[in-house]
Amino acid sequence: MNDLRFAVRQLIKSPGFTLIALITLALGIGLNTAIFSLINDLFLRPLSFKEPDRVVHMYSNANDRNLLELPISAPRYQHYRDGQTIFDGFGAENINAFTLTGLGDPVQLFGGKVTSNYFDVLGVHPIRGRNFLPQEEDTADVAMVTENFWQKRMGGDARVIGRTIILDGVPHTVVGVLPNLPFSWIGPNAEVWTTKPFAIPGFSYERMMRGTGFLRVVGRLKPGMTIAQARAALPSLDQSYRTQSPDKIDSSATMSLKTLPEDVTGNLRPAFATLLAAVAFVLLIACSNVANLLLVRFSGRRREIALRMALGASRASVLQLFIFESLLVSILAGVVGSGLAWQLVPLVPKMAANFLPFDPETGVSLSFPVLGFTIALSILTGMAMGIYPALQSSRADLVDGLKEGGRGTSGSVRQQRFRKILVGAQVALSVTLLAGAALLITSFVRLNRQSIGFRAENLWIGLVTLPQAQYPDLATRQHFVERTLAALHAIPSLQSATVSGDIPLLAGAGSQTLYSRADGEILPVDKRASAVSHDIAPDYFKTWGIPILAGRDIDQHDVSDHQNVVLISQAGAKKVFGNENPIGKTLLVTSGSTPVEIVGVVGDVRSRKVVEPNDMEFYRPWAQENFPFAVVAVRSGLRVDAVTKLVQSALNTVDPGLAIAIPQSMDKIVAQALGQARLMMWLLGIFAGAALLLATVGIYGAVAYTVEQRTGEIGVRMALGAQTMDVLRLIVNQGMRPVIFGLVVGLAAALALGRLIASQLYQTSAHNPVLLVATMSLLGLAALLACVFPARRAALVDPVQALRAE
Amino acid sequence: MIRLRNLERSYPLGHGQTVYVLRDINLDVTEGDFVSVMGPSGAGKSTLLHILGMHDHGWTGEYFFDETAVHHLKSKERATLRNERIGFVFQQYHLLDDLTVYENLDIPLSYRRYSKSERAALVAHALDRFQIVGKKDLYPRQLSGGQQQLIGIARAIIASPKLLLADEPTGNLHSSQGEEIMELFRKLNAEGMTIVQVTHSEKNAGYGNRIVQLRDGWIVDS
Repeated sequence: MNDLRFAVRQLIKSPGFTLIALITLALGIGLNTAIFSLINDLFLRPLSFKEPDRVVHMYSNANDRNLLELPISAPRYQHYRDGQTIFDGFGAENINAFTLTGLGDPVQLFGGKVTSNYFDVLGVHPIRGRNFLPQEEDTADVAMVTENFWQKRMGGDARVIGRTIILDGVPHTVVGVLPNLPFSWIGPNAEVWTTKPFAIPGFSYERMMRGTGFLRVVGRLKPGMTIAQARAALPSLDQSYRTQSPDKIDSSATMSLKTLPEDVTGNLRPAFATLLAAVAFVLLIACSNVANLLLVRFSGRRREIALRMALGASRASVLQLFIFESLLVSILAGVVGSGLAWQLVPLVPKMAANFLPFDPETGVSLSFPVLGFTIALSILTGMAMGIYPALQSSRADLVDGLKEGGRGTSGSVRQQRFRKILVGAQVALSVTLLAGAALLITSFVRLNRQSIGFRAENLWIGLVTLPQAQYPDLATRQHFVERTLAALHAIPSLQSATVSGDIPLLAGAGSQTLYSRADGEILPVDKRASAVSHDIAPDYFKTWGIPILAGRDIDQHDVSDHQNVVLISQAGAKKVFGNENPIGKTLLVTSGSTPVEIVGVVGDVRSRKVVEPNDMEFYRPWAQENFPFAVVAVRSGLRVDAVTKLVQSALNTVDPGLAIAIPQSMDKIVAQALGQARLMMWLLGIFAGAALLLATVGIYGAVAYTVEQRTGEIGVRMALGAQTMDVLRLIVNQGMRPVIFGLVVGLAAALALGRLIASQLYQTSAHNPVLLVATMSLLGLAALLACVFPARRAALVDPVQALRAE
Repeated sequence: MIRLRNLERSYPLGHGQTVYVLRDINLDVTEGDFVSVMGPSGAGKSTLLHILGMHDHGWTGEYFFDETAVHHLKSKERATLRNERIGFVFQQYHLLDDLTVYENLDIPLSYRRYSKSERAALVAHALDRFQIVGKKDLYPRQLSGGQQQLIGIARAIIASPKLLLADEPTGNLHSSQGEEIMELFRKLNAEGMTIVQVTHSEKNAGYGNRIVQLRDGWIVDS
């Protein structure tokens, strides 16, 4: 207790040290806690399914064409379902959108059509009613809704089970209410599920059964079955499918498995590993800062230590005293850091919701595991910082300590070396972090400048799902588009309008279509390349601002009973036809090898991801190929909500039962597509800034404290003839030596780190010499300034005063 | 060599009050003198020595060093003059702990911009002259008090100053070591070096040819 009181008194006695140590550590601990909270939510908190580690997601892979992690086709699902012995349950979901009518205005809902056992496989139990029954899988019009749907759209009706809701014009009986399911699995906005999963809207049964992948397949491993055993069982199923269905377009594909936790976080792991490393760096810099200050502080107390030992204190008790002091600092910093994290953590879902599977409305706050992490981190930090300085300082020579007669009381050679190593380590960590941040910032700037091929500004987007009952075929859906566009063209405030089958840069943009040249050797279907295909109505290129580089646009003659035509991207033209003129040439597209004539070449568009290089893209007339999902795009200078009202009113004149889903500006979608890179850039930028600040403060603190400790020595040097420049040079030289060492080590680390983050970089070399030199110069300059100020103070030392103080 | 006229040193106490450490000092030191400044603690002995050594600039009056009016010199010019003409020996030796004996001797030369070869020659000569060649690689903590002060003196005279100032040079030494140091001073004086020392010891003062008594900042006898 006495030691604790003494430690408190020591800290109060040096408010400057206490404040710097507290702020430094609190920043490190606070940032770590905030990031850990995010990781806890994403990676450590289990999905709200029963034993999620036992649930696996099955993917199809065409390795020879580098097409990985694709959905599963219906025939393959059925083959595996009937032949497998590794799963307790094997289910599938056909992700879908529905138009809900009869409960207020028509609205678009998201969800899926699932096998009857789907929620049993996931291990989700309804909070009301029941899961689907096997006999309901193929024929029954039944639905399950989420708790949100039930509360928001049905007012929490106690008699919800058995009530009817109209989905796509068809009455469905609600049989169960599901708890709200994790965003990370179902995505945002999913509210309703029905049965009858084996149908692709707009596809005939025969076409669907050719092997087109569209199902999200999950299996629950049998008890005792490991994922490795399950993976080992797949090749024989792959082989039997290949043998039994050689004509399917996915016959040569191989299957892979991922556990659900791995599946929902897999894409984010590299980014979060980078962030975690970055905050760990910040904490390490903070720790080495404070350890350095502690070492100088403890070594300045040699006389006190010697006196304590002369009075009978054991080395252990001196050690304990110092560790108490450093623990006290770190625990106080932990408290302040928790406060900082408490403020930062609720901001995380809002910042991250654009690109992470996060519900922005989730009230995330510091949880017990996170709080525990902070406490453990504080204690660990305190021990790590304090133990070496305490060990070193408690080794004081009793006689020397009591005499305290010499010059250069900046600690023993070993202590000085350790302090230099600490400063060097801080600089090395900061260079690494700054270089990483500089690379990611440069990468983001390049990504942001990357042409996406269309004009996103003033472009309004809305999705309309066409119910199968009213819009069963090409002709009815073409008729819908003609009428809708006529209604939209009649609105004078809209500059142009069009309809297409997909939204670029949104997940699942454009369907993948197999293709082959019709001339020369024609590859078998399962060996053909695949490309993104867009079904487009007239005025598509005008509305989206995509240039037609050769040939012509689609026109009113490109209808279903005429020659099938297609426009292709410039990159596709070059890839397939090289220097040949592609106009007039024929391609075979889709699994049915439909011949289409190329009538035009258009500018390249980044329709899947901004980072993906330009490739073949198809644009087929809506009248010749379409599905019951219509994306309305309108170019207008009006605000999003104003356009939504205008489009909805136009839509009402065509079909009052249809609703617009997720109306938004294309700008927003583009911004979301860059969201992860932007957030990474911001966070790493902030961490790198914090690192730079901490390292500068650390170097300043170390040099300033050394100057203070060496006042007498500097006085002697001046008495011996040293002039201002001599003292400045001495202090700056000694201060900068570990900095230069740190810069060199940091450069090596940055080169190594570059390799690790190379996959996250866009058009930026991980070893960009300009960036590395700039980073080192920035840190070198900051370090120089941090040395010059205390050095100037040293140069102003009055030798008489300094010598007298001795 | 040294002429002080009406020299005074004071410190402000706050509230418009001033405390005088040296009052109306008039003192002449001729070349070859060995002067001992004596007086009780607080008499202003060390202050006088630091003024003579041009470490202290906050005084008034006139100070001539070899006819150079120090009181008219700027700080940098005083530093140059000091480096050329004066050596200083401290009671606590003030050797730099982290430097070897050799490096401690080299320090004043490096500040006087001697070339590397000149420094090496002068340090070698000093080591030889003081018979401490065998100790050149030792650190101050590895030496006795007497040995440390020997290095302190060697360091003070290595750049061949005309004036050696010593602030209680034997204050931290036992008597036999003290005698050795004073004998050394006598020898240096005999070789032509002017010495001004501050001492409490009558015996040590006896090594010099003149005693200046200070009391409460005034010269009471010289």
